[in-house]
Amino acid sequence: MTPKLWLVTLILAAAALAADQAAVERGQKEEARTCIPCHSLRLIHSQRLSKAAWGKELDKMSGWGTTITDREALLEYLIANYGDDKPAPAPAMSGNGAK
Amino acid sequence: MIWNRREIFAACVAAAAARRATAADDTVTIPGKRPMILHNDRPEDLETPLRYFDSWITPMDAFFVRQHLPRPAAIDAAAYRLTVNGMVSKTLELTLSDLQKLPQHTIPATLECTGNGRGFYSPKVPGIQWGRGAIGNAEWSGPRIADILKLAGASSSASFLDTDGADTGVAKTPDFVRSLPLKKALDPATLLALKMNGQPIPDIHGFPARLIVPGWDGTSSVKWVVRLTVAAEANKGFFMNPGYRYPKYSLPPGTPARPAELEVIEGMPVKSSIVAPEDQSRLTVGSIAIRGFAWAGEEAIERVEVSTDGGSRWHDAELSSPKLPFAWRLFHLDWKPTEPGYYTIMSRATDSARRVQPIVAAWNPSGYLWNAIDHVGVTVEKAG
Repeated sequence: MTPKLWLVTLILAAAALAADQAAVERGQKEEARTCIPCHSLRLIHSQRLSKAAWGKELDKMSGWGTTITDREALLEYLIANYGDDKPAPAPAMSGNGAK
Repeated sequence: MIWNRREIFAACVAAAAARRATAADDTVTIPGKRPMILHNDRPEDLETPLRYFDSWITPMDAFFVRQHLPRPAAIDAAAYRLTVNGMVSKTLELTLSDLQKLPQHTIPATLECTGNGRGFYSPKVPGIQWGRGAIGNAEWSGPRIADILKLAGASSSASFLDTDGADTGVAKTPDFVRSLPLKKALDPATLLALKMNGQPIPDIHGFPARLIVPGWDGTSSVKWVVRLTVAAEANKGFFMNPGYRYPKYSLPPGTPARPAELEVIEGMPVKSSIVAPEDQSRLTVGSIAIRGFAWAGEEAIERVEVSTDGGSRWHDAELSSPKLPFAWRLFHLDWKPTEPGYYTIMSRATDSARRVQPIVAAWNPSGYLWNAIDHVGVTVEKAG
């Protein structure tokens, strides 16, 4: 690979990274805005779903009254973190609330 | 190369974001509950850790919780009213005192979330990723639904009973209303429970009154009941259709549901779960107690067999008494491995209708009714 081609490759890679990072960050903000009003984020973060399954969940939640404005970013964020290729999370435990 | 780096970078960013998001609500304590497996804290979806399952009656502070909607504001016992309406000769507004004056009955019954074990299905399906612990066994006390409907003069031409709780959905989330065929509602075992294990039902479990539909999925047992409506047809809301339905004909794993071929879930299947030893634990050669529970919906547990060699040979486990429909039985087998090694322990239940747990649970799009033969792996090491 010539030095020029390396440079082009690097520029393209940097652009791709920046685009993805931005989308994932926007997706996280969208999650906080649209999902938190009805339930905690744990419900989302314990799932490991395909893109199609996440898409169906977003459709369901839209039908139940949430307004998703940046759907693509939210999907990108969900797939990047909670896609079906990601390992299952360790179970979270609550504190001791018994008398 | 570009795509690999891109993916790695995105994963790093996402992981950092996830850590921040989790840290924000990390120390959640649920009043009245021991440490529970926390699937969701708002509303509460709490799974019982296996180590708490050491008694026939599950204590209230260890009993699992499944909320579809945010809990309603605490109900004042004095202000509480139960409306009984629909196809009745007389609409009723009953107080808690009215309900307490009716003959009280006590039923031991196991409640299990319809999706208990969902986390074991592959491919994964949306929903709470329950393991083995969305289940518990309690003694429920209160008047029979049949006695309440008799007071109201329910029409003999009605077919269903709709039950609505005081909880309501956020935004356009549908209300949680369930319909029960009147035949099951009038069964002498179906109660409007006012007590759980001899105590007023805690708020988190439906104070002051919850439906108890023994043998059916936990979803049927509506909490905070404020309305019973006698009806000709089943409710058409989300939580009756498409919610809590199961494919009439089995589907290849990973394929979507066929809405016209979904049926309402009623009685639960035969099932056993191993609670000790825990999966992937390390043990020492000697005497090891294999323990668990088994239940079979409207049937009683007849037999539980245990294997310690991956299902090659099976041994009858000891079963607790009483043997009842609706309630689980605990099983127990003393195992004395003499050789170290890795062992696969399995449990297989048979019920009074001769139903036997399958080797493979039928995958379904909502991940309901997991009841495969249970198995855990343990490493047994030499003593000393």
